Amino acid sequence: MEISSLFKKEIVSESGKLTAKHRRFAYTSLAPIMLYMGLFTLFPILWAVVMSFFSYTPIREGSWFLGLGGQNPFVGIDNYIELFTGSGKPAEVFRLAVKNTFLFTALVLPMNLIITLPLAVLLESIGERFKTLFRAIYFLPTISSSVALVIIWSYMYAPGWGLLSIMFKAVGLVPPKSWLQDPNTIYFGVPLAMLCVVVAYVWQDFGYNLVIFVAALQSIPKTLREAARVDGASVWQEFWLVVVPLLRRTILLTSVLTVISSLQVFVIFQLLTRGGPKNQTQTMLLSIYENAFRFANNLGLSAAMSMILFIIILILTITQFRILRTEWEY
Amino acid sequence: MKKILFVLVLASLLLAACGGGATQAPAANEKIEIRVWGHQAPAFNEADQAIFDEFMKQNPNVTIKYETFPWDVFIQTIQTSLPAGNTADVILIPGGYTCRYAAGGQLLEVPANVMTLDQAKEIFYAAPLGGQTCDGKLYGFPAEYNIEYGGAYVNPALFEAAGVAYPPKWDNWDAMVADAEKLTTVGSDNVMTVAGLHYTNSDQLFTYFLAGILEQGGEYFAEDGKHFNFNSPEAIAAIQKLMDMAQKNKVVDPIIFNADSEWVGESFAQGHNGIGILGSWYGGDAKLAYPDLKFDYVTIPPMMGSEYRFASVGGWGYVVGKSTKHADVAWQLAAFLGANESNVLAFNSKSGTVPAMKAVAAEPKLIEAAPFIAAALPLLDFGQYQGFLTDPDQLAYEIIYPTILDAIQGNLTAQEAANSIHEAANAMVDAAQ
Repeated sequence: MEISSLFKKEIVSESGKLTAKHRRFAYTSLAPIMLYMGLFTLFPILWAVVMSFFSYTPIREGSWFLGLGGQNPFVGIDNYIELFTGSGKPAEVFRLAVKNTFLFTALVLPMNLIITLPLAVLLESIGERFKTLFRAIYFLPTISSSVALVIIWSYMYAPGWGLLSIMFKAVGLVPPKSWLQDPNTIYFGVPLAMLCVVVAYVWQDFGYNLVIFVAALQSIPKTLREAARVDGASVWQEFWLVVVPLLRRTILLTSVLTVISSLQVFVIFQLLTRGGPKNQTQTMLLSIYENAFRFANNLGLSAAMSMILFIIILILTITQFRILRTEWEY
Repeated sequence: MKKILFVLVLASLLLAACGGGATQAPAANEKIEIRVWGHQAPAFNEADQAIFDEFMKQNPNVTIKYETFPWDVFIQTIQTSLPAGNTADVILIPGGYTCRYAAGGQLLEVPANVMTLDQAKEIFYAAPLGGQTCDGKLYGFPAEYNIEYGGAYVNPALFEAAGVAYPPKWDNWDAMVADAEKLTTVGSDNVMTVAGLHYTNSDQLFTYFLAGILEQGGEYFAEDGKHFNFNSPEAIAAIQKLMDMAQKNKVVDPIIFNADSEWVGESFAQGHNGIGILGSWYGGDAKLAYPDLKFDYVTIPPMMGSEYRFASVGGWGYVVGKSTKHADVAWQLAAFLGANESNVLAFNSKSGTVPAMKAVAAEPKLIEAAPFIAAALPLLDFGQYQGFLTDPDQLAYEIIYPTILDAIQGNLTAQEAANSIHEAANAMVDAAQ
């Protein structure tokens, strides 16, 4: 008799169910984490869903049940209608924020992949000692405090005396009057302020994907690359026709993670531009925060915004999985 | 059955523990703990703590537990705790917040035996008192008079370098702008390095937009007292004036100098503006952060006419939450903090805030302790409470400031900006109803 079946017999009854003793143990072990998840994860999510159908603000007195009802009345899908078609400032800004968030994601994703994938291949090709050193250097911004990074970038982007302006002047170029606050400087439909935030964000975030790509490259069997070389493939062909297809699952993973994190980015916008100039860098999460905690504490409307963000992330993630899914493994 | 009984007893005990208690008169010498909430501000906290110590000395049965929070945490804490009924007994609440919570029944009205509204009108200036008065009822004691209007920081070194007379004596607003033009410096790369007059901060554009309307004899509320009248000729003229100073007089570059870039206080301290329009409250902070900086705080003329008129958010005030179990002691403490002349003088002197109490404003010791306040004192009678603005933060920071800045940056005409503010502000009122 195998050891596993001996073990199985101890905890599983004849009918194939757990014995009462082990069931008790399982429930007791799982209870704290289930309670924790239920209280701090599931309940807030459900509450947010419910709140999105109410005109709710904690300032007003509602009923005994979570403050819903009373002066915080049920409004059906009015919050959603307002967000999609309303003429109020919060709705108007939110629609702009949706556009900006997509623009930000559309810029960050390719820029991140274009930098990280070749850099990972380069890192993988150098000696072990340097590989570890450079991997640590590139990963450093990812684990550093966002606030500290924003302070550094705000010095870089300072108008006139900032490092970037000084560098521009040193090479005879005219720097923009203001990197982060000029609403009138737009390149190919992308405001300068948005471009600046994208650069700072990619710089902060690319180490994460880099480490994932390096790990994935290490797992590719050397025989496959060697076979390509034997068949006369150039370095470029080896990378493009062998490495990239084999990294498809990793590209999917990094793409999904990058898209999700880009859609939810908050700190860098809040600290670097606060959504300005002229709401050109206003993102969905900034709008949710401002409406919930800065203006009027309109938690009902903010909850509806959160639901829309959740649905967008869900749709994009499923779509990415469908487009980039692979049927095989190596 | 025993189990059910046990659960019922436990549940009733829990409910009793969670439920708000009714106000009870404390027995003589009963030990009482009074909780006070405030935001973390060293000068405020130190000033209040000294008064608490004195109160506890006079009332040995009372212990005061003073809890302070960073600004954001403080705001979110009172937003969630007040409706839930589990706040501190006494709260030092920011200007403009009292009526928001009083309307929801979350604050207690000042008992008549502590102070009536008529008595308060005799004691306090109208603007800060307005912030503690809701529907004709008094809900707290103003601790200070928030005034962002009528004063500016001036940098003697920059005046001297530009050959401008110092200390400045301006008969009217245009004389100040003329000096500001001389103070303005633009680098060889066409980037403004010194703004002669920095007024393009969020609070200042909001304050001077409302003040500009009032100075011309206009009103920004519509007849119903809830909606706004922001596209009046006076409103358009006020926006045009704010635009002209940047576009015609070129005393500030609004792309570089605004709320998010070269904020007026820091910008002034770094010598990046010659005249920085900001409240007197910044003087104390600047002295601490930049001890070597030489500057003065001076009174500036009205922007749109010959008479001062402005709207104020009121100022910080002491209120009592409805969940207090010791309302009488809480009000006794609130009055000790906000209505006792010597304590108010001590608070305003230490915190460097403009007094809400008329008698304290006339007290020479105040100017000795906080000289920056002197420039604000001549203006105190000319202020009015800003009124119920539905959502003051949204109106100021999401509607008025960005729209006027957009106009100053050359993207809107004064008429377009006024119409945009008018529509957005009234949509905000409609959405809240």
